Amino acid sequence: MGETKRNLAPDNFAMYPITLRVTFILTFVSGVWIGTQNSEAKEPRLLVRGQSTTNVIPPINTRFAASPEGESPDFQKHIIPLLGKLGCNGRACHGSFQGRGGFQLSLFGYDFRADHGAMLDDSTGRIDLQDPDESLVLAKPLNGDFHEGGKRFDKNSWQHHVLRTWIHQGALNHSPEPMQLERLDVQPKEIEFTESKQETNLRVLAHWEDGSVEDVTILCRFKSNDDSIASVTEDGIVADGTAGDTHIIVSYDNAVIPVSIVKPFPASKSFPLTSSKHPIDRLVDQKLRKLNIQASGKCSDAEFIRRASLDISGILPSPKSVEDFLSNTEPMKREHLIDELLQSDGYAAWWATRFSDWTGNSDEQLNNVLPVRNVATEMWFEWLRARLENNVPYDEIVEGIVNAQSRNPNETYLEYCQEMTESCKPGQASRFADREGMPLYWARRNFQSPEDRAIGFSYTFLGVRIECAQCHKHPFDRWSKDDFAQFAKLFTPIRVNQNLVAQDAKKERDTLLTAITGDEKLRGADLRRALYGAAREGKTIPFGELLVNVRQLTEKQKRAIELAKKRVRDTTSTTIPSGKILGQTTNISLDHDPRNELMEWLREPSNPYFAKAIVNRVWSNYFGIGLVDPTDDMNLANPPSNGPLMDYLADEFIKNQFDLKWLHRAITTSDTYQRSVEPNESNRLDQKNFARHIPRRLPAEVIYDAVMLATGSDAKASLLRDELNAMAIADGKPKRRNQQDFALEVFGQSIRESNCDCDRSDSPSLLQSVYLRNDSEMHQRIMDSSGWVTQACKEIGVQGPVQMNDAQYRTAFNRANTIRKQVVNQASRFRQASDQQQLKMRKTIASELQRASQKIESLGFQMPPINGILSGKQKWESLEPLPPKTAKHEDLQNLVEQAYLRTLSRYPDIDEVNVSVDYITQSESPADGVASLLWALVNTKEFIITH
Amino acid sequence: MQLNRTCDGVKRRDMLKIGSLSFGGLTLPNYLAMANNGQATQGRADRAIFIELPGGPSHIDTFDLKPNAPSEIRGSFNPIKTNVPGIEISEHLPKLAKVADKFCILRGVSHTLAAHRLGQEYVNTGSKPIPALEYPSFGAVLAKERPSDAEIPSLVAVPKAAQGPGFLGIRYAALETNSTPTQGQPYSVRGISLPDGIGVHEVNRRQALLKKLDRRFGELEQSDQLIEGLDQFGAQAYSMITSSRARQAFDIGQEPESFSRQFGDDSFGQSCLLALRLVESGVRLVSVQLGGWDTHQDNFTRLKSNNLPKLDAGLSGLLNGLEQRGLLGTTAVYVTGEFGRTPKINQRSAEGGRDHYPRCMFMLMAGGAVQGGQVIGESDEKAAGPRNETITPDDVAASFYYNLGIDPTTEFNSMTGRPITLVRDGNVIKELFS
Repeated sequence: MGETKRNLAPDNFAMYPITLRVTFILTFVSGVWIGTQNSEAKEPRLLVRGQSTTNVIPPINTRFAASPEGESPDFQKHIIPLLGKLGCNGRACHGSFQGRGGFQLSLFGYDFRADHGAMLDDSTGRIDLQDPDESLVLAKPLNGDFHEGGKRFDKNSWQHHVLRTWIHQGALNHSPEPMQLERLDVQPKEIEFTESKQETNLRVLAHWEDGSVEDVTILCRFKSNDDSIASVTEDGIVADGTAGDTHIIVSYDNAVIPVSIVKPFPASKSFPLTSSKHPIDRLVDQKLRKLNIQASGKCSDAEFIRRASLDISGILPSPKSVEDFLSNTEPMKREHLIDELLQSDGYAAWWATRFSDWTGNSDEQLNNVLPVRNVATEMWFEWLRARLENNVPYDEIVEGIVNAQSRNPNETYLEYCQEMTESCKPGQASRFADREGMPLYWARRNFQSPEDRAIGFSYTFLGVRIECAQCHKHPFDRWSKDDFAQFAKLFTPIRVNQNLVAQDAKKERDTLLTAITGDEKLRGADLRRALYGAAREGKTIPFGELLVNVRQLTEKQKRAIELAKKRVRDTTSTTIPSGKILGQTTNISLDHDPRNELMEWLREPSNPYFAKAIVNRVWSNYFGIGLVDPTDDMNLANPPSNGPLMDYLADEFIKNQFDLKWLHRAITTSDTYQRSVEPNESNRLDQKNFARHIPRRLPAEVIYDAVMLATGSDAKASLLRDELNAMAIADGKPKRRNQQDFALEVFGQSIRESNCDCDRSDSPSLLQSVYLRNDSEMHQRIMDSSGWVTQACKEIGVQGPVQMNDAQYRTAFNRANTIRKQVVNQASRFRQASDQQQLKMRKTIASELQRASQKIESLGFQMPPINGILSGKQKWESLEPLPPKTAKHEDLQNLVEQAYLRTLSRYPDIDEVNVSVDYITQSESPADGVASLLWALVNTKEFIITH
Repeated sequence: MQLNRTCDGVKRRDMLKIGSLSFGGLTLPNYLAMANNGQATQGRADRAIFIELPGGPSHIDTFDLKPNAPSEIRGSFNPIKTNVPGIEISEHLPKLAKVADKFCILRGVSHTLAAHRLGQEYVNTGSKPIPALEYPSFGAVLAKERPSDAEIPSLVAVPKAAQGPGFLGIRYAALETNSTPTQGQPYSVRGISLPDGIGVHEVNRRQALLKKLDRRFGELEQSDQLIEGLDQFGAQAYSMITSSRARQAFDIGQEPESFSRQFGDDSFGQSCLLALRLVESGVRLVSVQLGGWDTHQDNFTRLKSNNLPKLDAGLSGLLNGLEQRGLLGTTAVYVTGEFGRTPKINQRSAEGGRDHYPRCMFMLMAGGAVQGGQVIGESDEKAAGPRNETITPDDVAASFYYNLGIDPTTEFNSMTGRPITLVRDGNVIKELFS
């Protein structure tokens, strides 16, 4: 090897058993073992970790090659994996929900009791204990004609021997509960193909809770995440393909293990290690070096301010801030800008919008959860925004949602209702933000059944799609149907309903209701109307509460449990329901609110998902692709593209007390974030290793606002920037279905309904191009009297773009014509007056005519010289429009510069200035030209994508 | 080839006689040889309408009834005769029964993906979804292989596209209308007409300016999908805005009432009318959706009071309309959901429902070289799976492409240069075209 490549590995390495045809040179370098090998060897480089284990039970195919004596195959360890491997429990076959051929197995296995029952069921005829060879489970797969699924194994093959022996010995399922597979050890962990046409074997050891270790390679299922980069056979032989990186996924029992595969791009020339000390850069660099990919250089300052402003705060930088940043010579200016942006109102607003996406803040789903309509989404948004603004640690924000109570501590029901009534008033959402909890999360209509909650909770806080396990073993993760059911149970006690209040509040609620409705018993829509009306009149109205409906133990039960504990018996057999947290073994009894334990589990440093889910989503915001992608699909078969980087970010995020701004700062200060968009030969084809900036289309709300800011006058834009309320990134209101803002819908604003990050879309489309080019909204914004074109025309002293429609023109003409007649009459009266009178009148009339002249011009017409009119030399019998004014070349250059700064956040180059100025001077009027220039700039690709 | 009467009283093509060389076994070299010898009819269609029924329509209550099956399977709907002797369909599809000679029913179509999204992706592409790569929609392939004139979009989705262009790249994505038309009302896609006060001359000048200024990305324009796609959409948007052809095509308000009425007055029927106008104007493929088929509960009430009347009016109107306009011979029509529904009625609601069931489903094909008035394939007596040979979504997709004159084994290159066969495992169903 020319140079030692570093494989980042956290713990000890050891020589892999010599069944592999690879010679290793193991070196201990700064705490890690590096496996390299002789450059002459044609085998791939393998990363092997863990101890070599003695006492490994050899593979079942060797043990059962001949019909063995004395060994019993195990139902869980051998029979079900074998059936899985043979394809029996697939969806097309007996894993189908209606079974097949009168025989049904659980899809993807792991429902051992049901599967064992199905096999032993007399009516299926699968197992014949009297005459094992008559068992259909043997006869069918041996005979293709007799089995729709075809022939699956040969007579006297090891598969045949295993199944036959098992039946012969009574077809038993030994353990009533599944045995725990403690660890599935796949060797190698990582394969690096150094040349083409290479192959290597995977070897898989199962470590069971009973201490036994077995080579189960032949029983595993293997799958490549990208066949073009590496393919894998049924027996676990991996072969290389084209350059890139992917994973081979190994499944056995409930374990799913990814094996990392790297096939480097052809090395053109060597390039230096990154000089950056930033941990992100170092971890990215490690991966890039394995792939022979050189990173692109840093982006320019202009690119940086635009990219960072849009990504961190969702807002296009103002022309002035761009100019200031470009002229700033301070070496740390990028870091300072990042700090400024993280302190800006835009940061809190934009990220509250993203958090609203992930938590499902949808108007549609919040319909009628409060007695006052159309305020819930805004309150939700504001609650999040206030916390992001104050940089409340992520786990505390989540705690406010997960553990939400309707009332603050020590608050009476009446105080709660008074406060909520106030909070629902227009502009008072910040009062709600001051409250401790955010129970609206639990009140959504699509979050009411325990199953919906299990799915939604996993989506929001874990980035895990648990829904697969609702009906069958998760195909890409370890979750079984039972895991899902146990998890869902935890959510059963939570009740939220507009008409539900705690026991102690019922009387108070009735009093409040009576004060509004009198003796009338109103229900449903009538009641809502009455409450709505009362709230508007300023009366305090009753609100519903989140209740935890727990069943308390009776004294007798408590004593029974105490007794059982003393006798060291299982205490779970009480009548109190219980559930389990995903991946945990402890039962959580539902005699108390289970959410505290859920929350404690989330913030455990050892939680495998909580920190990673948010780190990954934030990362994805900055790079357009998650370390795990899709960002809401973290599962064992979908490992991060850069595992060490994911671990680093998640660990440090936890160590920094879930400090979100730390995370944003860590990412955006890295060279990795600040890369140029320009590709080089080695990184052109790579999409997922962060070797260059990959352009993304801006999110819907950000584009919407960018258009408003770019086309609006300076005054309008700074008002928008200061207030934020009128901006799409800050309104936190995805509209109801079919009532969304057209532009936001076309650009893919999230509908926040289906527990999927894909509810938001950042794909471009034809309709988006049509919108930006030709929608009446766009034309309106460009030509608007409060738009920048109008402002710019005024500044260079030319007529603005406001095109009058026919009616407006007629009105203006009529007004001007009335003035004209008055002026002509006045002049005629003046001429008829005596000289002395004329002398007296002259001063007044001159100033009156001066005013009239200004008025006429403002209406777009010209007035002849005043003296001419007074003397009667000018008859002025009809109105003439004003001739267009021409602009000065110098003014136009300056204007073009401003247009570039406010749209593309950079100065134009000399060609761009010339093209633009020429265009404007050749246009019918300067206003037309300026409008066209602004139109063209917001329609460049540069405007709507990051670069 | 002869028609055989089967136990359930439905005539079907006898496929066993043709043997493996024919159905499901028609390989491309075979096919090409046959085409050269004049044995296979060449695809005649040059445009297409793809009607999706998302949710997964029950096959046993629509086009594959089993009147002799036990009551927990057969359900409450009865079969009625159609205008093709021997073919019977549900009593709640009376209008389609009168045009059964215009379409072909595929029964016992079978696959294994019981999740909506995966099933949709499968039937929308003809290739089983794989994690590393997204296959393109039919429309995206047509947009690439047979692009429309510049002023007309190649691919329109009413109102939304269920499947994207996958590895072919964003530039082949559909124009989504985001709304559906209403009978007799003018209809337009927002933004395609020029506003008052801006003439074509002005638009042309602006476009020229934009072209000069929009050049920041240099060589990336060729290698980046997003940038390339934006260029494509920009150019297309310009053409559409400056020509009146697209505007005219979208405006179903221009159709006489006598013609538009036969499509039914709901949004699906009028979307079918829009599809007809669009393909008539040169759009390559229009996709239309009719949802609401996920009948886990109240299967029968929902079907007969909502979905079936809509499908009946819209689709029969479309087939009649295409024929009246002389377009049926050149327009390939493909109707499918993502799977069938369980033969056994579940007990989840008072009247019961049916659950996801990919092992047995129906699909419909019409137009182009498709021979209408026939049933191809057959399900078993409980509509629980194919009786004999299995038709897969891959086969139907291959046939759809074949009907459009596109070789289903065409190889495309993915972004990373990987060669990918258009339809991985499909074989052209020859009987469709005989």
